[in-house]
This record gives sequence, C-alpha cells and structure tokens, in this order.
Amino acid sequence: MTTSHDPQLLKGVLSMVLLHLLAEKESYGYEVAQRLQAAGFADVLEGTVYPALTRLEREGRLATRLVPSPSGPARKYYRLTSTGLDSLHAASAAWARHVAGVEAVLARPLPDPPEKGTS
Amino acid sequence: MPHKLTPLDRIRIERLVWTLDQRLYDLPRASRIAKRREVRANLLEAAADQGTREALRRIGSSGALAREYLGAEYGDRPHHSWVAAAYFAALVPLLLNYVLSEAANAYGNGLAAAHGTSGIFTWTGVSYLQSPLTFTVDASGVSHSGGAWTPVVYVLWLAGTIACGRLWRLLPRPTRGRQTAAV
Repeated sequence: MTTSHDPQLLKGVLSMVLLHLLAEKESYGYEVAQRLQAAGFADVLEGTVYPALTRLEREGRLATRLVPSPSGPARKYYRLTSTGLDSLHAASAAWARHVAGVEAVLARPLPDPPEKGTS
Repeated sequence: MPHKLTPLDRIRIERLVWTLDQRLYDLPRASRIAKRREVRANLLEAAADQGTREALRRIGSSGALAREYLGAEYGDRPHHSWVAAAYFAALVPLLLNYVLSEAANAYGNGLAAAHGTSGIFTWTGVSYLQSPLTFTVDASGVSHSGGAWTPVVYVLWLAGTIACGRLWRLLPRPTRGRQTAAV
C-alpha cells in the first residue's frame, strides 16, 4: 500500500515514530526503514531515516551496537535509552493532546456555503 | 524476491558510499567512517532485497544524504567546514609563492638586461608581503635569496583560513540559561 504523507507533518512526527519502533524492538537502519514501510509510511525514504537515527543517537535518545551479519558487513543496531523512553512518553502525550485539539476543531460544523451569485 | 549482486551493483554502491564519504569530511574521522560502514551495510542489504536501482533511489543522492547527516551531527545551525579551511590553507601559499616568484624573476630579468655583466643588488620586494631580496648577477646568470613571507602574511593566512572555514563555529555556544531565567 502506498500512501502519501504531508512531508512537513511527517518531519514533525518521524522521531516519535522511530522511537516507538525501536522501543518495540532493537533494529538496524534498513530494518527500521522496512518496518516503517510496513506500517504504511511507504514514502519515507531510507535517505531520511538513517540521518534521523543519527540525530536521535547524537541526542542520547538511542544507543547503538555493532552485530556481525552472516550476509555482509556488521550491522549497527539501535535501541532506546532511558532518555529516549522518557522522550517517547512525552512526545506521545503531546501528540495525543495535539490530535484531540485538532479533532475538536474539525468536528465543529461548518456554516452553509454562500449561494452562487450572491456577494 | 532476493537479487543476486553483480560486481557492477557493488561498484554502483561503492560509488555512492565513496561520494558520500567525500562530502562528510567535515565530520570527525570516526563518525565519518561509522556512517560510511553503516550506509554500505544497509545499501548492500537493500540491494539484495529490492535491487540496486531501487535501493539507490530510496537512499537518494549522496549530496542530499550528506546534508542530512551533517545537519544531524551539528544541528540545523550553520557549521564550520574543515574542507574549505584546508583548501584556503593549501592554495593560498601556492598562489602567493607563484606571484612572488614571478615578481622576483621579472626583477632578475630586468637586472640582467640592464646590467649584463655582474653585480649584487637589493630589492625591497612586494611591500608588506616579503622581506628584501638580494640578487646576484654574474656570468652564470641571475640568482636571488631572501624574499620570505613577513609576519603579516602569516597572520593574514591564519585569519583567512579561519574565516574561510568559519572555524569560530567550533567554539561552544554561549548558554542562554541566564537570559531564560530572567524572562
């Protein structure tokens, strides 16, 4: 399934989604990209995911380790740190508030559109 | 369906990894090598999984990827450039020495044409840039000594290298906690 996401919206939540995926299971870069794709983010490219993982690692929210791979070079696995977990909880709560606020606004009825020909 | 990687596929992957590596020279060496290895490992797996063309398409251009990596490492604020600093530091001496050498040769040729036989002459050199030069004209031709850079040139060279590489951005940023607390 290929769905298109607003890049600006996606940019804001990509870190949170990555943290959640890595909280579920330790993964390496390509596997994370595959899991994102399977979750419906087919238009999130690997070229976006790998630097985002680097950024989270630099911020101390992810830790890494190298694991030898039978099929090629060693893989760099990412896992959540305690800071990352706190960050995920905070981001999830903020996201829930955000969604609730947006849905409350969108649920309001709109006025009838003006009839054509009237100014 | 798994794809078997041909030597050509590996060359295409190595090309992207190599060009990415060239664009990441502003990163610390260990970090640059780690990224190179990670991208290579991921690309090899993606290529075996989806085909090299699709794997390369999904990772994007090396330039865009390098920009993302640099942004991830240094944040979105402007950062320094060791590459630009190195270019300036290496090219300016070459260019300056070439210009000074040509000026000295021109002066020497002038001496040989005017005085022909022999003699020892002194030229003050290019103002502010070099020490005086001593020219010796004899039967074997014209030779000269002196003409070293002045301290001013070294200072300008250093200042230019810092300016070109924006190396002041390596300094830690002042914390704004005090300002925030006052608000």
